[in-house]
Amino acid sequence: MKTTRIESEVTGTVWSVPIGVGERVAEDDPIIMVESMKMEIPVCAPAAGTITEIKVAPGDTVNTGQVVAILTS
Amino acid sequence: MTSRDDRQKDAANAADTMADKLAALDAAKYALSDAARPQAVAKRRAMDMATARERLGMLCDDDSFREIGGLVEPDRGHDLSRDLIAPADGAVTGTGRINQKPVNILAQDFTVLGGSIGAVADAKCGRLVKFSRECGQPMVMLLEGGGHRIQDGMNAAHFAAASPVFRELATLSGWVPMVTAIMGQGFAGPTAYAALCDFVVMLRGQSTMGIAGPALVKAGTAGEITKEDLGGAARQADQQGIADLAVDSEEECLQAIRNFLSYLPQNAGEAPPVVPCDDPVDRRDDALLELVPADSRRVYNMKKVIDAIADKDSVFELKPGYARNMITAFARLNGRPVGIFANQPMRKGGILDVPACEKAAHFIAMCDAFGLPLVSLIDIPGISIGPAAEDTGLGRRSGRLFFEMGIATVPLASVVLRKGYGGGYYAMGGGRAFDANIALAWPTAEICAMSIEGAVDVAYRKQYEAAADPQAKRAELIADIKAQTSALDAASGFGIDDVIDPRDTRRILIETFANCPARRTNPAPPRHRPISPI
Repeated sequence: MKTTRIESEVTGTVWSVPIGVGERVAEDDPIIMVESMKMEIPVCAPAAGTITEIKVAPGDTVNTGQVVAILTS
Repeated sequence: MTSRDDRQKDAANAADTMADKLAALDAAKYALSDAARPQAVAKRRAMDMATARERLGMLCDDDSFREIGGLVEPDRGHDLSRDLIAPADGAVTGTGRINQKPVNILAQDFTVLGGSIGAVADAKCGRLVKFSRECGQPMVMLLEGGGHRIQDGMNAAHFAAASPVFRELATLSGWVPMVTAIMGQGFAGPTAYAALCDFVVMLRGQSTMGIAGPALVKAGTAGEITKEDLGGAARQADQQGIADLAVDSEEECLQAIRNFLSYLPQNAGEAPPVVPCDDPVDRRDDALLELVPADSRRVYNMKKVIDAIADKDSVFELKPGYARNMITAFARLNGRPVGIFANQPMRKGGILDVPACEKAAHFIAMCDAFGLPLVSLIDIPGISIGPAAEDTGLGRRSGRLFFEMGIATVPLASVVLRKGYGGGYYAMGGGRAFDANIALAWPTAEICAMSIEGAVDVAYRKQYEAAADPQAKRAELIADIKAQTSALDAASGFGIDDVIDPRDTRRILIETFANCPARRTNPAPPRHRPISPI
């Protein structure tokens, strides 16, 4: 089993979290939606797997490179 | 080999018949084959890797590879190299056919002294470069091994002369397509060769690249790191973009080279190869009406737009894992190769940062060198701002994109799908910025100097804060500006040539490129060369 830290690519505010802990995702599925530059920009799964931890909630501020979720594949 | 041995060999040869000589030749050539070297082949099998000669067989059209220099012996001119055994000096070189066209190929043989580059192999590489330059044929290198052979290199009498190989490779740049596949360990020499190539492909979990491998890193810095962590595809293809593609098998790797070359001419003096196309010129894909949300807050996948416009199954993406906010891809339009570069809203909103600018700039240079028309698909919120962006040198390094757009002379078409904001709109070739053959916009386009909300906050803050209801006044100002940034507004000032139904994009691009010359006029006065900003 491989654990991957999913990082935000942009600085912004968490707009929504469409995936829950324990849910399976495919590569490029949106995990977190970050509002930045007047857009809702997805943070996507880098690979298929299961989301084992979500570290942010709607309204939180995130920075570029900040870990927002953990993926196990 | 001693002079006495030579004399004995000469005496034996003098007594031979032609049949004897041919038998000796056959034996010498057989000794180079995989069949004659079962132990070396077994080592490759144990690592689940192919031999250099097997790779050449997979890369080339059937039985088309003709070797040169197979019979060379390594340099044994000094004490450290006196006893070296190195079939073909560790590099299989020759000319084969790929897609029915001749290509000069070097394949390093890792089973010979770890794929180290000896003086004779270096000369063989130089010979291939000469063939490529003079015959106008692509150069392909299948690399796996260390750098300079230590036995040769630790002797100043040999090493001081250096090698002309990098100058030689530089002479090919922009004349013929240059390709490197890193097929195993590729620190040092192979990485330096790859750096001068147009297309570099590596294998996930098998290939490594970098200035120096873990042993030298440990000796120099006392730091321990695995070769995969130091120079595997995750770092060198996905994070750094020094490889253009990472694949999972040797077959995929070699097929990727064939695919890459299928879009390019043999040399810059020829036209790109047009292939038969059964995808209708006037195919209108209704999906294009839904792919781009009118709500500019919502992102979408630009790759689906490219797939809908290009000939079916013709898109070949370069650097797909690196700077994913910028898509660069070869594709075909009615069978004609083109280069598409596009902002990807799904990644960082499609903003231009240093990796995106440099990825696009290199791609534009390659398309311009080999005559591929450029298609710019624009949905750009701007060029990245803030201290983190400035720390990357974006102010200067973004200039590379403007520079390449400014000197490119291949046909250019720009299409604004939605946001065409600020300097990013210029850099992507929107409107008249770089004299595009046609400048188009979809009805969803919104073209202006910066994000509308940002412009109101910068230019009109005092005005709306002085209002009785500041937020209502701010909203009113935003609505007023929004009403003058539409696609129709852009067309009204003749900044663009037309606003089109997205479904007509394919047909209009095909017609535009069919109706314009192969090169746009270059207005630059005579000069020795332009100077890239970085």
